[in-house]
Amino acid sequence: MKKICSISAILFTCLLIISGCTDKLKENPQSSLTPGFFATPQGFQSGLDAAYAGMRNLWGSQNFFTLTCLGTDEFSTGRDGNNDISKYNSNYIPTNKYSTGVWEPCYTFINTCNGLIDNASKITSIDTVTRNKMVAEARFLRANYYFVLVQFWGDVTLNKHFQSLPTTSATRDPQAEVYKFIIQDLNYAIAKLPASPFTSGLLPGKANAAAARHLLSKVYLTRAGSSAKDPNDYQNAYDIATALIANKATLGLNLLQDFGKINAEGNESNTEVLWTIQHTTNLTYNGTNDLCYLFVPVYQNMPGMQRDILNQRSYDRAMPTRWLTDTVFRDKTNDTRYSKIFQTVWYCNNAASIPKWPNPVPAGVNPALAGKPKFVLGDTACYMPGVDVTDAKIASTRYSLIPPRKYTISMYPAMNKYFDTKRSDMMVTSNRPVIVWTLDETYLIAAEAAFMTGKITEAVSNINIIRERAAYPTGNAAAMDIQPSDLSLDFILDERSRELCGQMIRDWDLARTGQMQSRIVKHNSDARLNFVVPKHLLRPIPQSQIDAVTTGTPYPQNPGWF
Amino acid sequence: MKKTSCFSINRKKHQVLLIMKIIFTIIILSINLGFASNGFSQNDRLSVNMKQKSVREVFATLEKSSGYRFFYNDAFTYLDKLVNVDAEKESLNQILDGIFKQTDFEYKILENKLVVVSLKEDLLQAKYKVSGNVTDQDGQGMFGITVAIKGTQKAVLTDVKGNYSVDLTDKNSTLVFSYIGFLRQEHKLTGESTVNIMMQPLIKSLDEVIVVGYGTRKKSDVTGAITSISSQSLKDVPAANLSQALQGQGAGIDIQKSNGNSKPGQAPDILIRGTRSIKAGNSPLVVVDGIPFDGNINDFNVDDIASVEVLKDASSTAIYGSRGANGVILVTTKRGSLGIRKPIITYSGYTGFNKNLGEFPMMNGEQFALLKKWAYYIGKPGTYTGINDPKIMTDAFYPDEQQGLATGHGTDWQKLIYKTGITTNHQIGVSGGTDATQYAISGGYYNETGIYYGQSFKRYSLKFSFDQQLTKFLKVGISSLNTFAITNGEDSQNSASGSYKVEQALKANPLSSPYDTTGALRNSFVSGITTRVWNPLADLIDGAVIENRKRLGSFTTFYLEANIFNGLKYKLNAGAQLQSDVYGNFYASKTTINLGSLSSANNQTRTNSDYTLENILTYDKIIANKHKINFTGLFSFEDNVKASNSFGYSGLLSDNSQYFNPSLGSNLNGTGSRAEYALLSYMARVNYSYNDKYLLTLAMRTDASSRLADGNQYHTFPSVAVAWNINKESFLSNSNVFSYLKLRTSYGSVGNTSISPYQTLGLLSSLVYNYGTTTTTGLYPTGAPNPTLGWEYTSTANAGLDFGLFKNRISGSIELYHAYTNNMILPQSLPATSGIPNSILTNTGKSENKGIEIHISTVNIQSTEKNGITWTSDFNFFINRGQITQLNPTLATTYNGKPADIGNKWFVGQPIGSIYDYQKIGIWQATSADTLAAKGLGLTTTGTGSVIGQIRVADRNKNGKIDAGDMYIVGSPQPKWEGGTTQRVAYMNFDFTVVAAARIGGVITSSLFDGGTNALQGIYNNVNIDYWTPNNPTNEWPKPNSAQTSAVYGSTLTYFDASFLKIRSLSLGYNMPQSLMKSTGMKSMRIYATVSDPFILFSPYRDKYHGIDPETSGTLNVDSPATWSMIFGVNITL
Repeated sequence: MKKICSISAILFTCLLIISGCTDKLKENPQSSLTPGFFATPQGFQSGLDAAYAGMRNLWGSQNFFTLTCLGTDEFSTGRDGNNDISKYNSNYIPTNKYSTGVWEPCYTFINTCNGLIDNASKITSIDTVTRNKMVAEARFLRANYYFVLVQFWGDVTLNKHFQSLPTTSATRDPQAEVYKFIIQDLNYAIAKLPASPFTSGLLPGKANAAAARHLLSKVYLTRAGSSAKDPNDYQNAYDIATALIANKATLGLNLLQDFGKINAEGNESNTEVLWTIQHTTNLTYNGTNDLCYLFVPVYQNMPGMQRDILNQRSYDRAMPTRWLTDTVFRDKTNDTRYSKIFQTVWYCNNAASIPKWPNPVPAGVNPALAGKPKFVLGDTACYMPGVDVTDAKIASTRYSLIPPRKYTISMYPAMNKYFDTKRSDMMVTSNRPVIVWTLDETYLIAAEAAFMTGKITEAVSNINIIRERAAYPTGNAAAMDIQPSDLSLDFILDERSRELCGQMIRDWDLARTGQMQSRIVKHNSDARLNFVVPKHLLRPIPQSQIDAVTTGTPYPQNPGWF
Repeated sequence: MKKTSCFSINRKKHQVLLIMKIIFTIIILSINLGFASNGFSQNDRLSVNMKQKSVREVFATLEKSSGYRFFYNDAFTYLDKLVNVDAEKESLNQILDGIFKQTDFEYKILENKLVVVSLKEDLLQAKYKVSGNVTDQDGQGMFGITVAIKGTQKAVLTDVKGNYSVDLTDKNSTLVFSYIGFLRQEHKLTGESTVNIMMQPLIKSLDEVIVVGYGTRKKSDVTGAITSISSQSLKDVPAANLSQALQGQGAGIDIQKSNGNSKPGQAPDILIRGTRSIKAGNSPLVVVDGIPFDGNINDFNVDDIASVEVLKDASSTAIYGSRGANGVILVTTKRGSLGIRKPIITYSGYTGFNKNLGEFPMMNGEQFALLKKWAYYIGKPGTYTGINDPKIMTDAFYPDEQQGLATGHGTDWQKLIYKTGITTNHQIGVSGGTDATQYAISGGYYNETGIYYGQSFKRYSLKFSFDQQLTKFLKVGISSLNTFAITNGEDSQNSASGSYKVEQALKANPLSSPYDTTGALRNSFVSGITTRVWNPLADLIDGAVIENRKRLGSFTTFYLEANIFNGLKYKLNAGAQLQSDVYGNFYASKTTINLGSLSSANNQTRTNSDYTLENILTYDKIIANKHKINFTGLFSFEDNVKASNSFGYSGLLSDNSQYFNPSLGSNLNGTGSRAEYALLSYMARVNYSYNDKYLLTLAMRTDASSRLADGNQYHTFPSVAVAWNINKESFLSNSNVFSYLKLRTSYGSVGNTSISPYQTLGLLSSLVYNYGTTTTTGLYPTGAPNPTLGWEYTSTANAGLDFGLFKNRISGSIELYHAYTNNMILPQSLPATSGIPNSILTNTGKSENKGIEIHISTVNIQSTEKNGITWTSDFNFFINRGQITQLNPTLATTYNGKPADIGNKWFVGQPIGSIYDYQKIGIWQATSADTLAAKGLGLTTTGTGSVIGQIRVADRNKNGKIDAGDMYIVGSPQPKWEGGTTQRVAYMNFDFTVVAAARIGGVITSSLFDGGTNALQGIYNNVNIDYWTPNNPTNEWPKPNSAQTSAVYGSTLTYFDASFLKIRSLSLGYNMPQSLMKSTGMKSMRIYATVSDPFILFSPYRDKYHGIDPETSGTLNVDSPATWSMIFGVNITL
């Protein structure tokens, strides 16, 4: 009897356990969120924040910088820069990490935008106006991502809807379709977004109609230079840019008096800036912005110098071409822009490495100075006058005097648009917002569109507005004006360099205007050796993309690439 | 009836109670007992006709026909005498009288159908008495040892405490101590009255009981492929952890250092019968005392382990259904022993040192200076007249470097960072028991410091077990393993620099000095042209680098066993595992990790709780003496919860606060996770054997895993195995050659869901952003759900042959297997255009593994004298060939005409983990022919990007350009074969053991020869290779180039032959003689010295390329180098 009781008790326990266990087979992830969350108001907002954050993979990243700035007529490779992609040599292949690093996030965050746009109708707890504004933001961002893709790669996959299920097939859509889609997005965005970055209550970095209008004019201008061109593109570009310029006062926008203030540290939300990618001194939320390092030569190797935060961390990636420093900025008198965006003087910050005058001293130096330090802390340690000087002058100058012929891949004028001297530490990434679209470019878009449609007068007047401003404060503004006879496509491109050099658009400028080969061959001493057409006009489709398309038609590579 | 069965009674639990009753009788009679019955009565008549048969055989025949049981001492030589019996309807008495006529023996027929055979009374008249104690190697008294007097028929057995007492007629007799499975020992008496003997185990006995899933079986009854490793084998080579201890012990068990990692506290990776899965994991399931163990294998103190069984084929593992696909390691921990005993106290301890097995082959100052000159000369075409252009000196060399070069004072950074590590181990145990209660308690302490500063592993362990018979039919027991482990200096790959601390030191400029002119440490970048390597010695400053992991683990199993009625048993087996793991690190600003930037700290807490409940019903029945049936039924449930959180911060106000308080820093970041899975299983198994000759095992298990998609959670895994004990057949029973022969075959299916939970649900990842001062956290889709993810399962066919030749002087087994894995769970990379950046898990494709495993044990020399030489050997040899046999049928891409998923590097017909890369065929030479050929391929031949002097890869598809189609399968890590041997030699009280292992074939990827330490840029110190220069047109290594951060196609330089032959250990031991022991009060004492990993006898990677050790699972990282060690130890039993 005792046994029977025990056995019954045991069997009963078993039954209890079994019945309780099957419930445990249902999964309940508590520390992560699944895509269904996108259809909730909080999910919708957080998805939009992520779509903005995704932009940090482009503006502010070394990948994007490498693709847009290096290997152009403006910048060649510094000593620590990439020697493959920036020189177009045979080591630049479809596995290149810089181009892959731009391709991949674009599609990830396009999908995020698609998820928002597709799910919007399900979110009824947000009022329609707010919801439409949020959709407009997503569409503005999506247009930016697609515009990046289409300019670098031509025909690209056009995902119009959210893909939540895995797919291993993909096709490339004609760029005409992509442009059409971008234009639709931007038109929607212009209609629904707050009018201006200065619209009351709009947070810094948020999408706005002014930025969308600028971008739309640029999209038309770019499509006009592509195989997908439409006869009205230049006119549309001109009209939209001109309208934006005409409305600038009501939008709170205006050109600054001083060109040097556009990119000044701490002044990123000035009236000339249409849209920025945000960063913050709160490092937890800051993300990566490497731009402050990339244009900096190895100044710390100069006598009397050491690394400090004022002069930045020297990544030594981008060396201005001699054409940029000597030819584009030939006028350093009336045009003040060169002096405002290039650092050409370094002040001694390292007593330990101050050089001493040799004995005997060079000609022209007081013999009494023999064996004495050439300078003291705080004095000029290095100076680049921008014009040639004699070797004798160099020898007799107490600081390092470097004329253009002495520029090396380690020591050259440093473009300072992104300098960030207020970081907590040398190694800390920049916390300055990255300026993406600016009103001065709107003038230059208008000028280019006007020029391409034969409206020379309009083109010249837009350019002259920009040039006259460039004389402030010491130059002669009138002397900056150009005449219709001065105008050419080359001149427009030169002017864009003077105004916008290093602003992560140059590769597209050259592609849009069809001047990539001619100008690289003329002005970039590294890249000219290897530049091949048509191969280098477009970026290679990343090998990872081609390899991962395992079903359906193989993913086509761009011409010349293999 | 098997006559030996009684000698092993103390190993067979289910006969224990019965045996206890008759122990007394046994001792009195000095004979061997068994028990059975059937209907024959003493007066019935028998007809027996046997010619020239041994007395043994006659007894066996009589037992069968009469139903009487014969009890006699197995050591009686008389039993082998050949006799004739010709009885026609005679009584048992008549027959026996005939047999025993004119012998020294007599017999008695007892009431309960027992026939007891013994020496005649008058022969037992003794003049002298000798007594003593017989112990095993642990000093535990051994029960049932035969103590015979040589040259007579007389023998006695030892009692449960191992004591014996024997009466002699001749004081110069020789005593012979024997026991199956142990070395026979002779002792010539010289008048002493006490003789204590320690028995030495011989080779594994076939009657050994081994642990199988959910039960135990006699080795001869086993139908599956199981490798059994005794505590003796584990003890031969003292090891820090279980996987190290198993290394080289069994065929088919491949144990390699994880990424070549030799740091203290790092357990190697275990692979049983190759790699079959890509994603679902390849690690075997570890089951401790019946309960799946989900913890760190380092938590075991090897001293606590009684035995380890490795289940390899599907029949053995199918009962573990869901997770058996990669093999199962069954660990049985030590428990108290049955019997009336006083407590046994054991101590084992060792201490020793470990040193690096070599230095990485880096350049010295002079060599580096030359490399640098070439790098600048080549990297800046047209700038310098040659490598001796003085301008190079000023452009490329810092004053400090110039000075280092001028004075010849280079720095060998490796000399400065390595030290000698110390290992210490102590373990104390107490065990004992009565008939009703058994207990064992042990405590251990292990401490190992590494060869790199700050690395150490310390473990405190406490184990206890307690078993209690509650009533006649109820028994309960509990066992608990508790560990507190502290690991310091894990040195995980530094995310900022992408390298380990040791790698940083290798990259440090050998021309620079770690000290300034005053001799003080330079706490700054190592001077040189770049500012990317911080003085590695700065990490060694006290408190600068803290990496501390504290793991507290408790693993407790409980059982309740009920004998419901004859043969039917119920067992509740429950296990609970709790682990907490707290990791903290702190890196001061001035370290190789932060390079002068903000100091940083990170704090992680992980908890893991797991419980398993098993209800096991077993039924044993013997029908008609021939049909043995064993049924096992199981219901089990497991639930596992892992939770973790982690926070990091930087810019600490005080370095002294380490990682203890985030409010003393800024930029706080945190993450957390919780993952739970459950597994529900039902299992039934039937073992059937006919006459102990034919064996059959049928098993069926159904599992449900929460980790799989709804609708695909359940899967059933069937298996069948048959075995044939050929030696039991009449045609072999008299064989002089075969003492044992068994043929086994099995087929079955096993599953694998070792994937993380929530893989089927899709995933949103978070990232941060800000709008001005408004900060926000965004979410975006990174993982796609897979609503159809189901079981990956492996079907294995296995055939095995077990054999014992010449009285088991040679024994072993041969296994052949073929495993087919279906529905492989693969992580599929999606094209970026899918919008999903993470790979997803899919059931795609099939793979297979086939192989052969051979294990041979030989007794080369067996001493019959106590102090003679005994030499035994174990050999194992195994081959595994794995390949992917099928991929997604819609796959459009191919390799060599077979489907291939290039993006994921999966190729049909190739092993998992194949290396796919370009084919290096040499270096582009500065000849017109090469220049022309390079131009023909569209390659750049001028400027900094010129291919001349760079790696030349083959245009394999002959399309006139180097493209992705030129890549090919370089090889795979899968070796051609592996093997190991253990040689044991015993002489006098000494024993010497050598363990050697070989792994031949396969390809390793060594990151030493790629990127960081082989950049050839002239910035970082470089591996000392014979690089190409215009003056040295080698085809081996490319040119230095200051304009390039690493060699193009540099990955082709990292593949090496993985073969090696190494001595795993050399061990010399000495057992103190018993005579000495008596005076100390100790039962036994053994002292030994062991050298681990002392020599690599053969390795192309080491011999030709000066690598340190090719042994690795996965990429061989540039991490703390391999080590060798030497320890001295003692084992004492009180």
